[in-house]
Amino acid sequence: MEVLEGAAWVFGDHVTTDDIFPGRYLERPLDEAGRYAMAGVDETFASRVRPGDFVVGGVNFGAGSSREAAVVALKQAGVAAVIARSFARIFFRNAINNGLPAVIVPDTTGIRTGDRLRVDLTSRQVTVLRTGSALPILNLTGISLAILRAGGLIPFTEARLSRRTP
Amino acid sequence: MTLTERILARAAGQSTVRPGDEVWARVDLAVMHDSSGPRRIAPVLQRLGGRIWDPNRVVLAIDHFTPPATLTHVEILTMTRAWARERQLPLFFDSEGILHNLLLERGLARPGTLVVGADSHTCTAGAVGAVAVGVGATELATVLVTGEIWLRVPPTVLIRFEGTIPPYLTARDLAMAVLGSLKADFAIYRAVEYTGEAVESMSLDERAVLTNQAVEMGAKNGIVPPPEQQWPGAGVSLAPSAPEECEAVHTFHVRELAPMVAAPPRVDEVRPVAHLQGLPLDRAYIGSCVGGKAEDLRLAARVLRGRRVRIPLTVTPATQEVVRACLADGTLQALVEAGAIVQAPGCGACAGLHSGLLGPGERCVATVTRNTPGRMGHRSAEVYLASALTVAASALTGQLTDPREVL
Ligand code: SF4
Repeated sequence: MEVLEGAAWVFGDHVTTDDIFPGRYLERPLDEAGRYAMAGVDETFASRVRPGDFVVGGVNFGAGSSREAAVVALKQAGVAAVIARSFARIFFRNAINNGLPAVIVPDTTGIRTGDRLRVDLTSRQVTVLRTGSALPILNLTGISLAILRAGGLIPFTEARLSRRTP
Repeated sequence: MTLTERILARAAGQSTVRPGDEVWARVDLAVMHDSSGPRRIAPVLQRLGGRIWDPNRVVLAIDHFTPPATLTHVEILTMTRAWARERQLPLFFDSEGILHNLLLERGLARPGTLVVGADSHTCTAGAVGAVAVGVGATELATVLVTGEIWLRVPPTVLIRFEGTIPPYLTARDLAMAVLGSLKADFAIYRAVEYTGEAVESMSLDERAVLTNQAVEMGAKNGIVPPPEQQWPGAGVSLAPSAPEECEAVHTFHVRELAPMVAAPPRVDEVRPVAHLQGLPLDRAYIGSCVGGKAEDLRLAARVLRGRRVRIPLTVTPATQEVVRACLADGTLQALVEAGAIVQAPGCGACAGLHSGLLGPGERCVATVTRNTPGRMGHRSAEVYLASALTVAASALTGQLTDPREVL
């Protein structure tokens, strides 16, 4: 999980959870979620994205409804991390809780769809391989990093509970 | 410390906290509904041993898929009911109204407490002076088992509304004015606290509009200092935050504002209704947690009494109690006589699940929370967000209409 490499799929500012996973699919079983990833903005995304690719947004990525299916859909579609200038906070927590890195960098305007990116959670930077430019990772410390390293909130909580019970 | 910091410090069992601190806090109330609740939570709960830390602190409301429109909806409701029965959940509300409104109406959300809910509009409960935070279903499941949550203490942004509210404005216009001028991401990871003369004179219903819309500003929580600043049992002072402790203070003079509308596709595409006056409409909708309260129905009745709508107006009361109260005072009578269609309480068409979706290209003025494309139905449908006054005025004329034209 510490060093990831894949292609970027660039979306704009204020991508909402309705864009990532439209409400009309909410009644479907969660294990089908990947088929509808990003269907609100690009219905072909789910069939074109490759495992290990990244979704890149601008500001306020994941705004709106708290639906966790938005994160599950991206994970199932193979997305390895989401990179943005800022995240809506519930989307951010859902991502970390499901073991999907939600990476904040100061600027995403230099990234184009198709660019290969390297996301290094140890040296804390995102490198755009086409241009060689390196963007510092501004978040993922403390508890959120610990949850991510544990593989998500469920394994993290299991470990906490087992420490608690003698 | 700010109001939000004081409440979080208490919940974390610490004497002080500072913005940016990560704390483990004890949860006073954990809330969920039929969409985010058992169907998503049960499997996680199972993995974590299945025991709920304190069933008396858990609220479950069936509000999203009721009344069910498909057999899939029925399945979800049946599963939710069975789960609630099996767990003998004391605070289970079956199709009695929208979760967020029930928390206020039944006095379940208490001043000075920490409320965590599997829904983005959980922040609504901040209207009573609680810290109320929305999370996802997995996270709520872990809260149900441990009674705890980790939170980063947010800096507070203070929004002051100066002056008294004129009769043609509502809390929704004020919230839209904030979104229009500060934009939809200004409060990401922040607490938004509302104060000022206009807020102090608001009913709980109206305060709840401000806190409900905090999430559309990106906020972690919205909060209004309660009128009673020393709640017995709160354990902390619930006085308003001192401006110098806040990260920013934004002041709005209510008398300078006009009735507002948020044009699709975004909640912050806000302009005075007058700028879009005359835009032809297909439908009008009054409903949702933010716009289906008794106060909203009464505002609409004020406009519609003795008149007739020109386009279909659908009204979805937020709760059964709203229905009862609005039956008792003649509000429903006035709405129905004006031609409105009144539906069963719940989320209704707000999330585009059932009870009146919008078709391709249909244009609707609505009191709902959001206007994202596809939110209320087809992606090409257009949702203009407005107060109940503006929706009622527009239903009368069939065009976007400043309520001052008809009041
Ligand atoms: S009324 Fe709409 S915004 Fe409110 S809880 Fe229901 S679906 Fe969500």
